[in-house]
Amino acid sequence: MQYVADMRAAQASGAAIEIDRVSHVYAGPDGGVPALSNVSMKVGAGRFVVIVGPSGCGKTSLLMMMAGLRDHTEGRIDIHGAPIPKPDPERVGVIFQEASLFPWLTTLDNIEFPLSLRGMSRDERRRRSEPMLSLVGLAGFGERYPHELSGGMKQRVSIARGLVQDPPVLLMDEPFAALDEQTRMTMGHELLRIWSTTNKTVVFITHSLTEAVYLADEVYVMSPRPGRMIDHIAIDLPRPRTYEMMATDTFGRLRDRIWQQIRKSH
Amino acid sequence: MRRPDPKTVRWGILVALLVLWELIPMTGLLPELFLPRLSKTLAVLWIDLGKYWAALLVTLYEVVLAMVIACGFGIVAGATIGGIAVLRDLLLPVFSSLYAVPIVILYPIFTAWFGIGSESKIMFAGIYGFFPVMLSTAAGIRTIDPQFLLAARSMGATIYQQITKVIIPASLPTVFSGLRLGGALAIIGVVVAEMLTASAGIGYLVTLNRTILDSPRVFAGILCILVLSVAYDILARRLERRMVVWQSAGRQQQVQSSQRPVNRGAPAPAAA
Repeated sequence: MQYVADMRAAQASGAAIEIDRVSHVYAGPDGGVPALSNVSMKVGAGRFVVIVGPSGCGKTSLLMMMAGLRDHTEGRIDIHGAPIPKPDPERVGVIFQEASLFPWLTTLDNIEFPLSLRGMSRDERRRRSEPMLSLVGLAGFGERYPHELSGGMKQRVSIARGLVQDPPVLLMDEPFAALDEQTRMTMGHELLRIWSTTNKTVVFITHSLTEAVYLADEVYVMSPRPGRMIDHIAIDLPRPRTYEMMATDTFGRLRDRIWQQIRKSH
Repeated sequence: MRRPDPKTVRWGILVALLVLWELIPMTGLLPELFLPRLSKTLAVLWIDLGKYWAALLVTLYEVVLAMVIACGFGIVAGATIGGIAVLRDLLLPVFSSLYAVPIVILYPIFTAWFGIGSESKIMFAGIYGFFPVMLSTAAGIRTIDPQFLLAARSMGATIYQQITKVIIPASLPTVFSGLRLGGALAIIGVVVAEMLTASAGIGYLVTLNRTILDSPRVFAGILCILVLSVAYDILARRLERRMVVWQSAGRQQQVQSSQRPVNRGAPAPAAA
């Protein structure tokens, strides 16, 4: 009951993710290493939020905590009004870097993997995975193995796998980092197209400032370790985003502001 | 000129060796005591076919049971030691060192414990083949990309599902190469044991005929083991390829893509 009430409250306030003064210390021989310090953020349902920050600032740790894959020492993380002590694929889908597709499974079997964990029948799985394959633009590639796909295509499969259980929240940990710049631009654009048809809440981690501004509704900037939130920037570029926007003054100003924040924090 | 198909070359070499086997003793280059003619070897094999067949069955029986022991215990021990960090740190170096010990030195003890019948051969060859299976299973489990497990966990996989749906399929290629090696060592183990102390089997026949200087019968035995080993290797390879389609397919694709420019370039010099 409490859970339902919390859900309603969360929906009323429109927050899909609420992070309240989260800190984390990695256990070590002399007291441990502080990784995150007093991090707070609130992500509205259906928003596309990007977190940028220098390497080792703890942004991946933060994402893993939102996915229920890692504990935190202090503070509170709520996903749709309830804490997430362990992974819950019906609330949160996670998309990793390229390496996480299973090479022994075909594209369709990879997409269906989360469904097969729940013992869903083969027919039912196919019924749900095939629309996902079309959604990410890979119709006809269902029987291919990952090694037969390009880097961009593999990442499309990962996105389909993240979406197949239809979780309201999608967490993406530098999903396009291993791609070349051209593929990366195309994939970012594709992601926005997919996102606009599914109204998911997305938290996206990246090193690329251009990618951050191009994709986001809001950008959070983190400081070096121990990670803190040092800036929160609203990206008020209109949607749908177009490649031409990258050449505008507004785009340049926003990217510059993020860069200045990261530079100052060192 | 086009380069001949490697398969054709392999068969060519085999035929050439067989012809040399016939010709070298015939021309007197080597005395027949050292190398009896192929035709003579095949002839005694034909005459004693019943005896060799019975011996081969004994050897085969020992080999199969030794392989079962090597693979069964090897996989279980390798999975346990590779999967549990404490055991791994404690035991893996020990087993790696033991692998280097020539275990044949222990064979006299095996005959003392298990007699000179099939049991001592099975146990000895089983232990001989156990090490590569165990070590590669442990390696296969240890070298799984942690991203796979993280991804599976994020999708809600239980520990049991992580084992059956990620760890086992991910470690299959490494485990299989260990099984192939372990099986080969089991054959070696059985034959060596039969040659040392035995009353049956191909190895026994070889030793027996060597002491009475009956070279054709020695070579007949060698031929039997040669055929057995090669047949085993072909079978194991085929099984491996079928079980880990994705891996051999990946390897094939890499080979193809690296060969492609060469193949495309090939007609050009021919035309010029």
